Amino acid sequence: MRPHDDDLDDEIRGHLAISIKERIERGEDPASARLAALKEFGNLTLTRDSMRSVWRYGWLDAADALARDLRFALRALLRARGLAATVVVTLALGIGANAAIFSVVRGVLLRPLVNRDEDRLIYIRQSAPGIGAENMTFSMPEIGDIESRATTVAAFGDFSTVDFALTGLGIEPRMVKAGVVNGSFFDVMGLHPVLGRLINRKDDGKDAEGAAVLTYRFWTTALNSDPTVVGKTIRLGVRTATVVGVLEPSVPYPTDTEIIANVVTSPHHLGATMVTRRTHRMTELFGRLAPGATVEAARAELTAAYAATVRAHPEAYSPRANVQLKISRLRDQIAAPARAILLVLLAAAAVVFVIACSNVANLILARSVRREGELAVRAALGAGPGALRRTLLAESLVLCTAGAVLGIALARPLVAVVAQFAARFSVRALEVTIDTSVLWVGAALAIAAAVLLAYVPRLPSPQAPAGLGLASGVRITPGTNRRLRIFATTQIAFSFVLLAGAAMLLTTLVALQTAHTGFDMRRVVAFDVPSAAAGESDIDFYQEATRRVGRLPGVEGVALSMFVPWRDAGSFGPGIQFAVDGYRPADGEENPRARFRVVSPRFFAVMGVPLVAGRDFTDEDRDGSELVVIVSQSVAQRLFPNGEPLNRHMWWTDPYFGSKVARRRIVGVVADVDDESIVRGPSMAIYQPVRQIGVAGRLFVRAAGDPYALVPAVRRTIHELSADQPVERAATLEDIRSEVLSPDRVNAFVFSGFAGIALLIAVVGVAGVLAFSVSARTREFGVRLAIGSSPRHLLARVLSEGMAIAAIGVAVGAVGGLALAGAAGKFFDHVQVPGALPMASAAAVLIAAAVGASLMPAARASRVDVMQALRSE
Amino acid sequence: MAKPPDDQRLELLQGTLDMLILRTLQWGPQHGHGIGLAIRARSDALLKVETGSLYPALHRLVKRGWLKAEWGVSEAHQRAKFYRLTAAGKAQLLREQDRWSQLVDAIGRVMNPEPAGKE
Repeated sequence: MRPHDDDLDDEIRGHLAISIKERIERGEDPASARLAALKEFGNLTLTRDSMRSVWRYGWLDAADALARDLRFALRALLRARGLAATVVVTLALGIGANAAIFSVVRGVLLRPLVNRDEDRLIYIRQSAPGIGAENMTFSMPEIGDIESRATTVAAFGDFSTVDFALTGLGIEPRMVKAGVVNGSFFDVMGLHPVLGRLINRKDDGKDAEGAAVLTYRFWTTALNSDPTVVGKTIRLGVRTATVVGVLEPSVPYPTDTEIIANVVTSPHHLGATMVTRRTHRMTELFGRLAPGATVEAARAELTAAYAATVRAHPEAYSPRANVQLKISRLRDQIAAPARAILLVLLAAAAVVFVIACSNVANLILARSVRREGELAVRAALGAGPGALRRTLLAESLVLCTAGAVLGIALARPLVAVVAQFAARFSVRALEVTIDTSVLWVGAALAIAAAVLLAYVPRLPSPQAPAGLGLASGVRITPGTNRRLRIFATTQIAFSFVLLAGAAMLLTTLVALQTAHTGFDMRRVVAFDVPSAAAGESDIDFYQEATRRVGRLPGVEGVALSMFVPWRDAGSFGPGIQFAVDGYRPADGEENPRARFRVVSPRFFAVMGVPLVAGRDFTDEDRDGSELVVIVSQSVAQRLFPNGEPLNRHMWWTDPYFGSKVARRRIVGVVADVDDESIVRGPSMAIYQPVRQIGVAGRLFVRAAGDPYALVPAVRRTIHELSADQPVERAATLEDIRSEVLSPDRVNAFVFSGFAGIALLIAVVGVAGVLAFSVSARTREFGVRLAIGSSPRHLLARVLSEGMAIAAIGVAVGAVGGLALAGAAGKFFDHVQVPGALPMASAAAVLIAAAVGASLMPAARASRVDVMQALRSE
Repeated sequence: MAKPPDDQRLELLQGTLDMLILRTLQWGPQHGHGIGLAIRARSDALLKVETGSLYPALHRLVKRGWLKAEWGVSEAHQRAKFYRLTAAGKAQLLREQDRWSQLVDAIGRVMNPEPAGKE
């Protein structure tokens, strides 16, 4: 239907031809006929354009207008570069932070696993809230009970984490995190090999050959993706195994293992303790739902079965422990530790976005007030409200698009940072990459911001007397003023929430970092010198190693233990029950629990832990001599508040130690040290001599000078004794503690980053609002000065306006934040509310920042030149 | 054709051009130039349609479906686009004529009890 442009030209040409011909026929000469016809026709181009515009469709029309508006907006913004840059950077921060956090949230919490039918996979755990054990894992008899009663679960796979000393494959002997699995594990998990095969049912039982599967990460990083690896023989501790295959890339759970082997590779797994003892818990249980069964059905069935098991074996489940069976989708289980922190970060990013938007809204609002004159002129020239809105929309679209582009560019490095951070909570974060979803998020946020911003400014109303708007000078209507202040207050309120949160994390962190631990943190370096096979060790080797390391120059002392403070936290469970002569638990009270520690003579001296009473262990406390222990001060004080603990006898009552319990004499009392938790608590601990237990594996060296300078010499000395002995993870206690604290530190760091951005934006916002309000009220200030106000009075007045915005913002933020925390507390455990100190410091920072931001505008107000101000309009 | 001086010429009332075009085409298809001439002639040269208004108006009417355009050859053997009234166009003309006579009638009654004459 729509005529071609040539068609229009033809039509005009035809018209002219007819007109000329007629004139010639009337007797005019051709040249003047032609001129007259052209003159009569008028503006050719304009006519053709209006003919063409008749045919334009609605949206084409709109697109054309928009393109025009965009060009116009670009030119207008280029004239206001400072404002445009502020807006773009502010939006970019908001959009970038959101896009980055969203990619990580999506990658960690929402993306499906690679496992076949991953939504049918469940993870089963046994928790004992009564004794603070979130996940006790299972013993083999317990797994047998569950398996025999389940109909809703088609198959179970079990997995126990062990540490193997790996030799072979042409790499340095070292400890590897390994998993020992039954034959159905990989089938249940729905994973495939990239090379060779995985472990299957034929690998079960004690007569099978040792078989090991390498994880993809181990194969690619440690072995350079060696294609010939399948079929090679490796030594895992005391047993050998053949590498049968390489696992496809998948989320390692429950631990980041490097090798997964069959049961026969771990002598411990074939032992009677493992097979028959109900309380020997070290295995994790996975299941694949039977066809048609739901997670809820499985939960109901297995919980009922479990309750029966608990009733049948009261000796294995203490009532105080309050054991429970927990079943969750594997994906949720893997994401669980990261969920809360990621959602908090997402909320923080959203808050930053709101702050950024309100700040930008303020800038735009101020700008639009300044250009009310321009808008009024355009309205007077016939631009309807739609057209004016479109102009504003075009401007905000240009700004927001630029902000989004910059924000997405910013998101790329941010994703890496946030993923590193989230990796401390969930291994899945390591696979997070930036993808197109970021673009969508960025675009959606930009559009949301653009539309919001376009509707912020007031349009000149058609009813309003045009003269007002057309007059030069800026006036702020009360409505605009209120809006400006509301946006500024919003920013302060949201910034306060972030600042208070950050302050809380920082105070906690500072408290943790400066806490006194009871150890000599800087001069002691700890080594992992794991015994060749778990549970078995040659104590003479350790004795000799200690002796030789002790002779190295610069070494002040050497000691052995089986536990590196904090780094090995949790590896021995929540404490073991014991009894002591002369202490009878009250009725209904269970036997006390204490940490089971094994140390060599001079351990306390090396670690800087003072001996409070009695004696240290000596080399004479060995196999065959009298069994002795040293207790921590907490044990002494709790059990014998008035009496003398020395020379009394204690014995372990946990069934793990069997029925023939040895009585041990208390020979010493040492100061309390909490080597389990970062937040120091009372620490009941009982130390036993290395030579009477026969377990070691951790070497502590006290240095006279720089502790790290000793590391190569220590390693060399031990390798002289045994070339295959791994000597790993050398670090001072201080560094170990920092390492353990690093999630807290990163948490505080990331959150403070958000709070810092928010504070910066809010300060810019408050300063901007006041500066604008002052510049628009020059006349008012002039009048005030003329009728006798002192400049100082005006200064105080503007400062107090800034203070008022900040104070109201802080109050709203505090009330809203506490309400939010209350609401969040209903959905999440462990919602912390900042204490008085962080809240007060956040408020102080914000108010100080607001005062600082008000200073310049206030100074300007007080310096207004009366005559100029009065003459200005 | 005697031309009246420019100051005697009448401005077209807004919205009447479409009606005039439709009315002109009632006598049969015509090209743009011819339509312009016809309106001038029938108004005794009092009404002059600017080509800048005429052609966009023609296209607008085609777009609304009231006219149909096709290429043809003028009596002067020139290639030209001829506009023809469609059925919808005829109906529209009737509506506009009704409205127009009501308007003239109403304005006339207000302005002057005597019938409005030509100058």
